[in-house]
Amino acid sequence: MEIKQTAVAGTLESSDIQIMLSKGNHGIEIDLESDVKKQFGDQIISVITTTLKKFGIENAKVKAVDKGALDCVIKARTIAVAQRALKTTDQPAWEVL
Amino acid sequence: MYESIEQLNLNDPRKRQQWENFLKSLGISNFSDKEINGIDLTLGMYDGNELVGTGSAAGNVLKFIGVCNKGVTQGARFNRIISELTSRLYQNQIFHILVFTKKKYSQSFQHLGFTELASTDSAAFLETGSPNITDYLDELPKVVDQEHQSIAGIVMNANPFTLGHRYLIERAASENDWVYVFVVNTDASLFSTDERVALVKQGTADLKNVMVVSGGDYMVSYATFPAYFLPDSVTNIAYQTTMDARIFRDRIAPALHIGTRYIGTEPYSNTTSQYNKALLRELPPKVKVREIKRLKTAAGQYITATQVRKIIQEGDVTRIKELLPKTTYQFIEDHLDMLELRIKKGMNIDGN
Amino acid sequence: MANNDERLRRTMMFVPGNNPAMVKDAGIYGADSIMFDLEDAVSMAEKDAARDLVYEALQSQDYGDAELVVRINGADTPYYANDVKAMVKAGVDVIRLPKTESAGMIHDLEKDVLAAEKQFGREEGSTHLMAAIESAKGVLNAPEIAAASDRMIGIALSAEDYTTDMKTHHYPDGAELSFARNMVLHAARAAGIAAFDTVFTNMDDTEGFYRETRYIHQLGFDGKSLVNPRQIAMVNKVYEPTQKEIENAKNVINAIEEAKMKGSGVISMNGQMVDRPVVMRAQRVMKLAKASNLLDEEGNYIEK
Repeated sequence: MEIKQTAVAGTLESSDIQIMLSKGNHGIEIDLESDVKKQFGDQIISVITTTLKKFGIENAKVKAVDKGALDCVIKARTIAVAQRALKTTDQPAWEVL
Repeated sequence: MYESIEQLNLNDPRKRQQWENFLKSLGISNFSDKEINGIDLTLGMYDGNELVGTGSAAGNVLKFIGVCNKGVTQGARFNRIISELTSRLYQNQIFHILVFTKKKYSQSFQHLGFTELASTDSAAFLETGSPNITDYLDELPKVVDQEHQSIAGIVMNANPFTLGHRYLIERAASENDWVYVFVVNTDASLFSTDERVALVKQGTADLKNVMVVSGGDYMVSYATFPAYFLPDSVTNIAYQTTMDARIFRDRIAPALHIGTRYIGTEPYSNTTSQYNKALLRELPPKVKVREIKRLKTAAGQYITATQVRKIIQEGDVTRIKELLPKTTYQFIEDHLDMLELRIKKGMNIDGN
Repeated sequence: MANNDERLRRTMMFVPGNNPAMVKDAGIYGADSIMFDLEDAVSMAEKDAARDLVYEALQSQDYGDAELVVRINGADTPYYANDVKAMVKAGVDVIRLPKTESAGMIHDLEKDVLAAEKQFGREEGSTHLMAAIESAKGVLNAPEIAAASDRMIGIALSAEDYTTDMKTHHYPDGAELSFARNMVLHAARAAGIAAFDTVFTNMDDTEGFYRETRYIHQLGFDGKSLVNPRQIAMVNKVYEPTQKEIENAKNVINAIEEAKMKGSGVISMNGQMVDRPVVMRAQRVMKLAKASNLLDEEGNYIEK
């Protein structure tokens, strides 16, 4: 699936993660800022990547600012930002949830 | 336990007073009309009736950020106000956000995903979102084996493109393998950004080693260097020009392997001559600065775009024929009515 | 009514649906019910994100024994249909419909919920419903709303919108809510479902909160909607049975067991027959006592 517009989901508050998704040409490129990047960076990136792939998104620039989000929050924010970027917010992707 | 955030109407005198008092208590005190008028959005964070945090946005630039941390977790209110402010901008499809702040707050912004582009002893300039400076640099045209060639850079508003500009580019082109011409990307001039870029491209089409590109938000933009477009204090000009020079030195030049920045001597404009001074002070030794003496007419007059705009206003454009490349002159002749209308409607032509 | 389980519903804690910190921690305060809010606490631009967040949290977080409720957006909004589907798919215990004004609205919701249960392979009838009453019309139709569906487990009075509809506002003494409270309570009792009182938002007025909670406890409400976890212990305190009530209840329970052992169908205590309401009250008191940690392992009152 092609990203139609740059989109953002999530906030910069504690326990959240803010994800910005925009068009890219070189696979899924993730720029992650997190206080726990050393310990959990790979895990965060893996949740984002897996979720984006479920939407069929193969190319994207991802900018993520993590404030200690749990996996379920990371997944939820990735779903929200993907649907916003694909302009499909009105049709939830039940198979991805 | 959870403060409410609401939009603040600064036109309400009571709210305005409360807002100013709060910021003053935090050491922020520049409430000049120029600063205030550009604001599109102001948020206030309230604990009951007490204002405990605020932040504003002017276009894509965050301003007047202040929070009181008394009795709460350090940073929590700051994160909330910045989060809310950036979310509102994102909702308005503004995805690239800039902030100038005191050096000591740079780290707080970096914790929220902002990247510092340049800093001085006291101030820092940061950005977040997309497209960022990496995206901007990626998009620019490149040449093969760029790192081993001699590359020059010139930044110009070209409002409009004159033979003076052309002369500067020619000099750079003859002395280097390649030249980047960065055209100022702010629509606050008599000639629009599109028009200015087109005229520079047309006026240098014969120079095969010249690449005309947009300066983005990073070179003399309204966001980073407002004093270029509106009169400002010497202190502000010094601060903005220093920051602009450092972005070029630390971010732009290394990525594009620009070894030399070309500038024209500035006989008239105070802002531009201060800008030149800042470049001469900041860029070397990392980036050389070549200051080229400005071209004069046969009659011994310096060629300036200011002069061209003045004559457009007066109407007798044949007088500027000798100052301009054919392409620029043709454009002015064809669009004289439109340009004069813009001046009548209040477009400032005395600036840069 | 959905089922006869007399579960305790003293506290229904509101949790803003788009706030990960609060969604994550909602289970740690010991609320009887947790209500994730997709409606008023979420701005229009974040409706989708809040729905995703609550959905994923319900999939992965452990909220213990708490009853999980989601307040969806109203049927007149573009978010309603997807809210219903997502929450049914998530397997939430209860869907709360805001601004309910008629039995018809519950019937429509019931249809939509059933369709979603079929679509996502959920057990039919497993999703319960509750209605928030927020207008004069809703109050007057409370009896039919409370009895509108077998899925209904409760109705709640929501004072903010209701008092606006009544051209007044929420006063500290709550006199303006008197009729609505009694109406909602009667509707709930007649239908055999739970009744929830409205929220109390002034966190600085502890005394006022206790006064209001004691009052609705006296009326007979099952419990109260809450906006702050600090209020949970306060409500529980009010609903805590006295030593005398517990000892009394214990006697009734003993009498029941005695009757069972004797194989007698008649429960008697002190030579008096014990009838059904007394049994039910005793069971409820024991449940409250247990929830309030007032019983030891044998079910005896713990002296404090």
